[in-house]
Amino acid sequence: MPKLIIDEREITVPEGTKVIDAAERMGIMIPRFCYHPALGAVGACRVCAVNCLDGPIKGIQMSCMIDAQDGMKVSTTDAEAVDFRKHVIEWLMLHHPHDCPVCDEGGHCLLQDLTVSGGHGVRRFQGPKRTHTDQHLGPLVRHEMNRCIQCYRCVRYYQEFTGYEDLGVMQIGSRVYYGRYRPGTLESPFSGNLIDICPTGVYTDKPSRYRGRRWDFERRPAVCLHCALGCHVTVSARYREVVRQEARFSESINGHFICDRGRYGFPYVNLPQRPRSARVDGTETGWEAALKTAGERLESVAWKTGPQGIAVVGSARCGLETQGMLKRVADAKGWQGPVLDIDPAAANVRTAVSRLDSDLQVSLREIETADCIVVVSADPLNEAPMLAPALRQARRNGARVTVIDPRPASLPFQFDHFPVAPDDLAAAMAILIRKCAEKEPLSELGKTAVRSIEAVSDGADIPDADGLAALYDDLHNSRRPVIVCGTHTAPPEIPGMAADLALLLRIAGPRAGLFYVMPGPNSFGAALLSDPAPSFGDLVSAIEKGEIKALVVAESDLFGSGIDWDRLRNAMNKLELLVTLDYIDSPTTRAAHILIPTLTSYETPSLLINNEGRVQQSPAAFRGGDPIARTGGGDHPPRAFRRDIPGREMGAAWTALLTLGGRDPGSAPVNLTAWLGEAHPALTSLPEASDFPPDGVRLPLAENAVERFQTDRFSHGEKEEDALTLLVVDRTFGTEELSSLSSILKELTPSPFIHIHPEDAAELGLSEGDAVGIDSEAGTTVLPINLTPEMARGVLVIPRRRDLDDRLPQERRTVLSKTAIRKATEDA
Amino acid sequence: MLPTNVKQMLNQQIQAAEHPRELAIDIMMAVQDHYGYLSDEALEEAAAIVGVDPLKLEELATFYTFLYREPVGRYVIHICDSVICWMNGYESLRDHLCKKLGIQMGETTPDGLFTLLPVCCIGYCDRSPAMLINKKAYGPLTPAKIDEILETLRAEAAETTPS
Ligand code: SF4
Ligand code: SF4
Ligand code: FES
Ligand code: FES
Repeated sequence: MPKLIIDEREITVPEGTKVIDAAERMGIMIPRFCYHPALGAVGACRVCAVNCLDGPIKGIQMSCMIDAQDGMKVSTTDAEAVDFRKHVIEWLMLHHPHDCPVCDEGGHCLLQDLTVSGGHGVRRFQGPKRTHTDQHLGPLVRHEMNRCIQCYRCVRYYQEFTGYEDLGVMQIGSRVYYGRYRPGTLESPFSGNLIDICPTGVYTDKPSRYRGRRWDFERRPAVCLHCALGCHVTVSARYREVVRQEARFSESINGHFICDRGRYGFPYVNLPQRPRSARVDGTETGWEAALKTAGERLESVAWKTGPQGIAVVGSARCGLETQGMLKRVADAKGWQGPVLDIDPAAANVRTAVSRLDSDLQVSLREIETADCIVVVSADPLNEAPMLAPALRQARRNGARVTVIDPRPASLPFQFDHFPVAPDDLAAAMAILIRKCAEKEPLSELGKTAVRSIEAVSDGADIPDADGLAALYDDLHNSRRPVIVCGTHTAPPEIPGMAADLALLLRIAGPRAGLFYVMPGPNSFGAALLSDPAPSFGDLVSAIEKGEIKALVVAESDLFGSGIDWDRLRNAMNKLELLVTLDYIDSPTTRAAHILIPTLTSYETPSLLINNEGRVQQSPAAFRGGDPIARTGGGDHPPRAFRRDIPGREMGAAWTALLTLGGRDPGSAPVNLTAWLGEAHPALTSLPEASDFPPDGVRLPLAENAVERFQTDRFSHGEKEEDALTLLVVDRTFGTEELSSLSSILKELTPSPFIHIHPEDAAELGLSEGDAVGIDSEAGTTVLPINLTPEMARGVLVIPRRRDLDDRLPQERRTVLSKTAIRKATEDA
Repeated sequence: MLPTNVKQMLNQQIQAAEHPRELAIDIMMAVQDHYGYLSDEALEEAAAIVGVDPLKLEELATFYTFLYREPVGRYVIHICDSVICWMNGYESLRDHLCKKLGIQMGETTPDGLFTLLPVCCIGYCDRSPAMLINKKAYGPLTPAKIDEILETLRAEAAETTPS
């Protein structure tokens, strides 16, 4: 470990540390524009100059380009270095438009900071300035090229780091231009990071343009709710609205970046249609009054039907506090449930949670260090966007990435795809598992596991079964293989088989890891805190039979449960009482007899467990209330004096549930952490809110994984002849519940269509662009088709758009007879 | 549109290449030879052949001196604008050229015969000051020699242009 002297202080750093980073460890921030830890060094801007006074290298050097070495004596304050940096800044500023007052970057601009701290105050250059034409880059990012200092961060981020090619650097010399070939919407779903990464104001946040300077905002850390990864964000709120979000560094999860769904999914918090006042039978009452009425009516239902006549429902977007409280109240009252995950994937998530062991868990960042990755039944870019760049980094480090999934996979790097139909996924996994058994002496349980796999068909229908067998060899010979397994559309045996494969690989040698992709930000918590039965489907049947008369629904839209809408509507009409607690307007809040508005995770702290089993805390960013833009009708807010915040007469869902459970709002505060510990043993040692570590805590999951194979197999139904499987799948924008309410992302949500394999289309007599009608329980859906060769045969794939849900079959996987699919006639 | 045979030949080259991108410049050069310069249409056709976003070729085309994104004259004069030629009188030769042709650097004569552009060192330093016209190097230059070269080219053009 080299020992060197920087500014007369000694420091020892790990081999390979750049001088710029060594200095940063000592608290010395050497100026930099082009250097970024996620992108590495290129030495493009020359502003990080230091003077090496003694040692192996001497003279003015770029501190981002040299490794710390023994005996180095570096000065950052040396007059020559300071003068050098001053001149560099002066020429980087030659053509700058000096438009800081109207630039949204002003106030948090690295160029501003370094210009001032570098001592360059007066422009000496008298010549005409070089100017550029800006481009339209879509709804998210605003372009102002004149402010560019040619640091190359944007293009290196965009092309090298995330693998998209529609933004780059053109021209030469002083004309160097960063942008697209033609103006147009950026293709990358990670484009918002350009805003964070550009050290000046070339790329700024378009939706929040001119909405405030950084110091005007309440800025707080938060955890993203728009998928299960739990990336870190920084929230900026002003005038009781969330205005902007930025990526926040996380060592274990997202690194420096986030996806655009996470960045721009927030507008649901500000929406005018968000429920803000409690309502009983359509009449506004106070929050407490509504809770009181709800309590009384629940009592009266319980008196008539017994406590079993009441059921409670939550969702995967509820924080642990709410999920835990649903369980506590249901247990105490003898109500049915809680059903904490109504997603059709809930059973798969449950399997995943039960199969994830401490020694198999890998974090998102650890995926970057894997050298052989098999993604099964998952679509990273659409289901957990930031997984895609993590896989890309692994690929850049030489990993082989393979996707086994029926959908037309697209990833921003080179990968292998086995387009296996859903019914054959188990057979494909069985090939890998059997191959492992051939090679290794297994434990008794391992043998049983493999024997039970014999029941799975022999994989005759798998395209390129030999390729799969060869893939096993790569897995076997790798150092750090990772199995990524989806839950959204996976057949029920797949999550368990993925775990079996990871375990068997462990026995075979390599340090295999397992990474599940789950639907909601707290799917994991829901699986921990609730029992397999009743499921939401069970509740609906019980309602239909008249056994359940009242439902308490917390932060959950029942119309996303995969149950046919007509059936659900009829069931809900049979209810005597529907109490809905939520912060979004949904069919379920609209159907409520009693509506209790609640606070979002921006307004009240919440704990969430991500897909990896990591508990994270998302603190409140601001206190909530009706946005001033609304109370003032676009003008100055009312001047009437009041002591409370308008539109803030509400609490967190869990406090409402506490009251519904019969606790007097005035009684002593509860110890939530202790209660969570009582709710599940894995939650016993959660840190207190005040000392929650920045990257959260990994739950202690079961160990001794070797003994935990899935030995009971699922019986495989006969494949239906002349049938097609219809998959309704997630897409990056437009599917996830909260972000699909985002006005900002509307423009990026394309109209729906059906993917079909060209050969299947030919058999059905369909051609590209044809409007095709599909008959299902939901009625007939007519959509254009898109011939897609890179997908499995025998499958139709519809990317789901939540706002058109009522037109699509609710099941994620439906088997359709071929006769249910036909060309829609002109007049249909 | 490129003639089918040209397109076929280029597609074959790409198919034979291990990394199609390594042929990006060659393909653009070939397409430019056909059209005389790289129009937007030409660049997009080249991108389709190489199989990349047009941006990837635009990045190269706007950086690389010998790819012309605007129409050029029949003879493209690249006068060397690098250190040895600077020492040996580049500036006065450039001024001479501009005066003689009646255009500024970067412009094309109204008769469409000559375009004047700078170029980085062309490796002719031992015969500096130097210039390149349609891939042929000339040097060491004097004003008189330049006049002579221009006259020869004019005559050549007159000969080969049907009146
Ligand atoms: S646009 Fe921004 S990030 Fe890109 S080179 Fe210019 S200053 Fe750097
Ligand atoms: S990947 Fe998921 S958690 Fe991360 S920013 Fe995107 S939506 Fe949010
Ligand atoms: S930060 Fe070192 S050269 Fe730019
Ligand atoms: S400097 Fe002109 S040819 Fe080398």
